[in-house]
Amino acid sequence: MSMTPIALAASTSAPTSGDTLTRGASGFPSPADDYREAPLDLHHHLVRRPASTFFMRLEGDDHRHAGLYHGDLLVIDRAISPRPGHWLVVVIDGELSVLRLERRAARLYLAPSRPDLATMPFEADDNRLWGVICYAIHALPATGEEPASPPCSR
Amino acid sequence: MFALIDCNNFYAACERLFEPRLEGVPVGVLSNNDGCVIARSEEFKALDIPMGIPTHKIDPTLRRRVVLKSSNYTLYGDLSARVQQVLARQVPTLEPYSIDECFLDLRGMQEDWHALGAHLVRSVVREVGLPVSIGIAPTRTLAKLANRQAKAQSTRPQVCVWQSADAPELTAHLKRLSPRDVWGIGERLNARLAGLGVLTAAALRETPDSELRRRFSVVLARTASELNGHPCLSMSDLESPRRSILCSRSFGRPLRDRAALAGALRHHCQRAGEKLRRDAMQASAIGIYLRTNPHHNTPYHHACEWTALPFPSADTQQLNRAAQRLLTRLWQPLAYQKLGVMLTELTPRQQRQTTLFDGAEPARQEALMEAWDTIRARYGRQALTLGPQPADAAWQMNSAYRSACYTTRWEELPRALAR
Repeated sequence: MSMTPIALAASTSAPTSGDTLTRGASGFPSPADDYREAPLDLHHHLVRRPASTFFMRLEGDDHRHAGLYHGDLLVIDRAISPRPGHWLVVVIDGELSVLRLERRAARLYLAPSRPDLATMPFEADDNRLWGVICYAIHALPATGEEPASPPCSR
Repeated sequence: MFALIDCNNFYAACERLFEPRLEGVPVGVLSNNDGCVIARSEEFKALDIPMGIPTHKIDPTLRRRVVLKSSNYTLYGDLSARVQQVLARQVPTLEPYSIDECFLDLRGMQEDWHALGAHLVRSVVREVGLPVSIGIAPTRTLAKLANRQAKAQSTRPQVCVWQSADAPELTAHLKRLSPRDVWGIGERLNARLAGLGVLTAAALRETPDSELRRRFSVVLARTASELNGHPCLSMSDLESPRRSILCSRSFGRPLRDRAALAGALRHHCQRAGEKLRRDAMQASAIGIYLRTNPHHNTPYHHACEWTALPFPSADTQQLNRAAQRLLTRLWQPLAYQKLGVMLTELTPRQQRQTTLFDGAEPARQEALMEAWDTIRARYGRQALTLGPQPADAAWQMNSAYRSACYTTRWEELPRALAR
């Protein structure tokens, strides 16, 4: 029998049973109830500002040297101001693209990993900016937790 | 002070956010079933392709120059909610008006209004990525007009502030404006006003209050008063509460099979029930209608029938039982093109009458519907349906050019290229 994974909507959180007391067979409340807290919610940890946070998938393995892999789940917060060292989603040639922002000699540049691309100057209010990537999430090898990504296209 | 904030060419802007190659390209968004154009980007408007034009009537040479998108309300709804979240954080009261507009009640704030407007516009652009414009004025009616002025500006951010109702630039503007352009004034009212010599919005606001009340209505007198800078209209004055609900759709291709029609009907009953419960309403009567394609050479058949519900209800199963009985009566072996469910005589939930014999069942049904809505909201509309509803059913929408649900489905996330 196969199960279909169900995607939880981004804004919903799992129901907590904080109001109900656990009763033993004798009917007395469990002494642990006083210490109970809501379970840790990874979504709240990763998504500080739901209105400005978007998810994308990384396409291509050119940033592998930096620990960003094809198929990674990218968490992007548009409310963050870009700073040197940040990984950005920028629009280049009409495509959502991932590059690193670097400072060289007091100027900002987009630094590609692909050898066929040149570094590009970046302005403080650059209109190519889409958002700042704050997390890249991938399963570690052979744990089978992450649904298989389609094979890398390049 | 009040503000009206409005997303510019909202549907086209949503499409561009995740498909940046569409920037600068004429983009048109199509109605359900891809029937006609319901939203246009500026570039699309510049080609003189009118709003509402049937998709197949677009000139073939123009058709090649534009990009057409099926409407993707899942995406638009999510982005609309984000815009509201960003604004709600920064102002005391936000009142959504439509999917792409909301009013802000700024009373109690002491601000440099222009700076506040510019800040709000910039925060939406930055955080959600959609262009918006804002009008700020002493009343909602004036704010709506100020917003239109803001939209006409070529500079960014698009902000228009009228500090007071007697600001000279506002008076000059109202002198050029037809009453028809004022919020809540329709074609017929405008014609009656013209008959009395009231040809501009400026003339309307100078008409004595007593005369407007006597000849027209309290609401029009209030509109005039709003033009004079006195806030006296609430949102509910301008939106009559929902009187009826309609869920209908043309089929992707003609349907003959009765079981397939019953499936489509179940789908519409689910939608209608959800709309009812969302508005905390219940219906007293239900109707269905069926028709064949009027443009085909086959015999045209249109059938519609209503039935009263045993008691006012917002229960999907109750609605569906009544609707299926109607279908059994109306169905003939024809090629149907459209099926709809209508609910009417809506009353608020709390006035619910229970019949003498219904005992505990309605309370159980209410709990069931609550659980139903919760499950569908959390796990998606396909997770729980009334009877089987295959995703590829013939009556499902045609949406050949729909973009992905970029923000609500894991398997449809946008892809960003490593470079």
